[in-house]
This record gives sequence, C-alpha cells and structure tokens, in this order.
Amino acid sequence: MSVETAVDPAAPTVRTRERRQRSWRRSLVGAAALASALIIWEIAAYAVGDPVTMPTVQETARELLHYLTKPYPQVQGKTLVDDALISTARILAGFGLGTAAGLLLGAAMAGIRVVRELADPIIGVMRPLPPIAFIPLLVVWFGIGEASKVALIFFGVLPVVTIATLGALDAVPDELSHASRSLGASPFHTMLHVRLRAAVPGVITGMRIAMGGAWTSIIAAEMIAATGGVGFLILQAGNYLQTPLIFSGIAVIAVLGFVFDGLLRLLLRAADPTARR
Amino acid sequence: MSATVEDPPVTDRPAAVRLRDVGKTFRRRRRETTALEGVTLDIAAGEFLCLVGPSGCGKSTLLSILAGFTPADTGEVLVDGRPVEGPGPERGVLFQTPTLFPWLTTRQNVLYGPRARHALTPEVREEATALLETVGLADFADAYPHELSGGMRHRAAFARVLINHPQVLLMDEPFGALDAITRAGMQRFLLELWQRQRTTIVFVTHDVEEATLLGDRVSVLSGRPGRTKAVVDIDLPRPRTYEDTETLAFVTAKRRIREVLEQ
Repeated sequence: MSVETAVDPAAPTVRTRERRQRSWRRSLVGAAALASALIIWEIAAYAVGDPVTMPTVQETARELLHYLTKPYPQVQGKTLVDDALISTARILAGFGLGTAAGLLLGAAMAGIRVVRELADPIIGVMRPLPPIAFIPLLVVWFGIGEASKVALIFFGVLPVVTIATLGALDAVPDELSHASRSLGASPFHTMLHVRLRAAVPGVITGMRIAMGGAWTSIIAAEMIAATGGVGFLILQAGNYLQTPLIFSGIAVIAVLGFVFDGLLRLLLRAADPTARR
Repeated sequence: MSATVEDPPVTDRPAAVRLRDVGKTFRRRRRETTALEGVTLDIAAGEFLCLVGPSGCGKSTLLSILAGFTPADTGEVLVDGRPVEGPGPERGVLFQTPTLFPWLTTRQNVLYGPRARHALTPEVREEATALLETVGLADFADAYPHELSGGMRHRAAFARVLINHPQVLLMDEPFGALDAITRAGMQRFLLELWQRQRTTIVFVTHDVEEATLLGDRVSVLSGRPGRTKAVVDIDLPRPRTYEDTETLAFVTAKRRIREVLEQ
C-alpha cells in the first residue's frame, strides 16, 4: 500500500549534510564578524592614541591574562578567576532557586484557578519593576553578603520564569492531551508526559531571557554593595582608571554569559526537535 | 439506492455504538447554546458511518461525546454495550490535525499508547514496525513530526491509533486540512484499511462527496441544535475506489444526501 509514493529515503541524510555545511559556514562567518570587531577596536585605539581612554587589544589581552591569576587591587583583592567564580556562584544559586520557584508557581497558576487569580496581579506589578531598584532594600534586609545578591537574582528570575511557564502551559493545545487520554494514558501520565513535556521548550526560552536579566542585576549589585565579583572588580578598575582591566572584566562577563546561554540552548535543542537546525 | 430512512434510524445488526436521545447544551457567559438535541442513532459493528451537516451543527460535539472528552447532558451513549465514561484506547480518535507529539519520533509516537498503558512488549514493537510499513512510513520511523509532510503526519497518527486495536474509530474531518491530491490518497488508504480490518468507523465530514465515497450510511444532521434529519443508505458496491465518484449511481447518491441537507 503506497500512498503518496514514499519520499526518497536518502533525503534525510542529504538534509543532515546540508545542515552541517550550513552550520560550518555560519560559525566561520560569526568568527569573521568577531575578528573584524577586534580590528575596528584596534584601529580606534591607535586613532585615539590614549591607553586610558581606549587601550589596544593586545594591552587589554595582556592585562586580562595577568589578572586572571594576580589579585586586584593588590591588597585585599581577588584574581579575575576568583571574581568570576563569585559572580557565577551567585548567579547559579539565585537562578536555580528562582527557576524552581517560577516553575512551581507557573504550574500552580496554570492548574489552580485561585492561585492564578491571586498571583496574577502581584506578578503583573512586579514584572515591570527593574530588580536593581530593590538593591538598597535587600542590603538593608540581608546585608552586603551573598544572601542579598542571591535574593536579588531570585526576585528578578522568578516573574520571568513564572510567566514563561504559565504561557507555555496555557499554549499546549487541548487536543494533545485528548489524544494522549484516548490512546489509553491516565490523567496523571498525560499531565506529566504531555502537558508539562509540551511546555518545556517555552520554559527554557523563558530561562534564557531570565539569565540575561540575572547578569544585569548581579553586576549592578556588585557595583553598589559588594566586596567581590566581576562587577566589584570593574568598579574598582574604573576608580583607578585601569581601562584595560575594565575591558577585561567586560570580556569575562561576555564569555560567561555566552557559555550559560549556550548551555541553555543545548538544553533547548535536546528538548525540542524543531530547534535543531 | 434504498429509500431514505426517516427516524428512528435503527438497524437490526448488533449495534457497536448506540445513541439514545443524546443532548448537549453549552453555557458560556449566561448564554445557552444547544449543540445537540435528541440524537438517536445505532451504528452496527463493522459499519462505516459518515456524519454530515452544516457547520456548527454539533457533529464534532457528538464525536467528542463518543470519544469521552465531553459528557452528554441527556440521553444514553453506549459503545459495545458499555456507557461511555471517559476517553479510552478502545475508541481510537483521529482529529482534524494529526496531533502527533512533536518531541517524539514517528516510532515513539506510535508506541506512545502501549507505553503509557505499560503494555510495551517486543511483540508490540514488531507490530509497530509492521504498521509503519503499512502506512508507508518505514523509512521515516526515526523522523520527527516537523520533518514529515502533511499526509505522512496523518498516516503516522493512524498508526498510533491502530496499534491499540480500537473497536471503533472516531474521525473528525481528518482530511479537511489536506490538499486535494493528498486527500484523495488518504481516502484510498482509509478505504483499503477498512476493507481489510472492518473496524467500526464514525467519520465526521462536511464534504458530501467524501461521505458518499466512504460511508455505508450517511447520517445527516440538521443545523443548530443538531438532530438527526435522516440516515441515507449508500448501496454502492464495495470495494470502492476514487474512480467510482464518476458513475451515475454515485452522483445520484450524492444528490440524495444534498437534498436532505438542503431540506
């Protein structure tokens, strides 16, 4: 029985090869774009001719490598690696807790009407607030230690992940659950393996947005009230006109942000076959 | 061409599906809409019954009641002598869209039912392979739904339902969204399948030609609130093919249904 005569079985492999070629090409173009940005930076640095205003690429690279293992400021300072680890730990703790709470709250709002009606206005008021507005308050409550930083990220991540979870769960078509039930799955199995599963890509997209916000919050918090972290380092470097170190700190944030977003993108690809291209 | 049977449309063969005075009213913002009213219908085991009617006449609601997604407000709904109390694998449902699970491959989609019921045995896996062969998707067993064409997705949805060995197949305008060529292919596929397996099929459509080509009988519903207007016997010989749509007998049968619809 051949309906719609079978498509060439070799087609998928051809498609995979094409896709691989495309992704190679894309990586090459991306690398070229970054390289040309560095070249423009270099030209600008020579044009300005003042290392405090605009250090050259190689000066910045030298400072970056130097302070990776040497503390700054020399007394009571930390190395760039230490600061990066401090910021990363804060992000991970706040992001982990915020995501977990957002998932629970979003799922509860999607499933229980009263919870949705109660939480909706609160989330609605909280969401447009920039989390950094809460920094002084959190310092008053939790001091300048880790707790205030983790709390800040938590409150930044929570509404974003909550809304993403709620939206993703609401968007799961009823027919998908109906299909599951009429194939013999129990209501619980359907909840777990269809409704929640179908919402996963939307939740991960929300997590990516929240991750961007989390870096904004943590750097701001470290500049205002902290004794360590990349934000603290950048502020110190700025106070002493150590421009190459400012750039180094920014580069570290860029790399960390790229790595975390990359990890979330990998997660998305694993969860959503349509994202693999 | 036998005469149009006015109500009650009851056959003497053993009924696989039995509807008695089924009614359904939806309440939305204080407005009541009666979707179905006093629908009575018997469907024999192994029969291919088509439900046609104007849009909004409650055909889909009736199917949803049979599937167990929506409870009926009044009347009696029996499938194989048992009242319908919820969805179940003995009543396979094919929707307007294929509703495959996008995160599962074709094979995993087909095996979803047995896996969810903890009935996944090596025999079932072999059967899935055979079914994928039957629906022409053997080469696409490991492809994801978004990599399949529209017709292929529908055939995958078929295989996913057929592996449960349903006694009744409930189909809600399953080919409505397909282009004419794919649609004809799916109709031929369905006819060949039914010819071999003789599953009871309830097929909702608004396409009179489709109903005439596929059905043993065509139940015509009136506009809202939906009630059975008449049941038309289609006495065209089996097995039928798409070429039969050009015969005089076919055109006559089609016109008869259209007349009832327009009454």
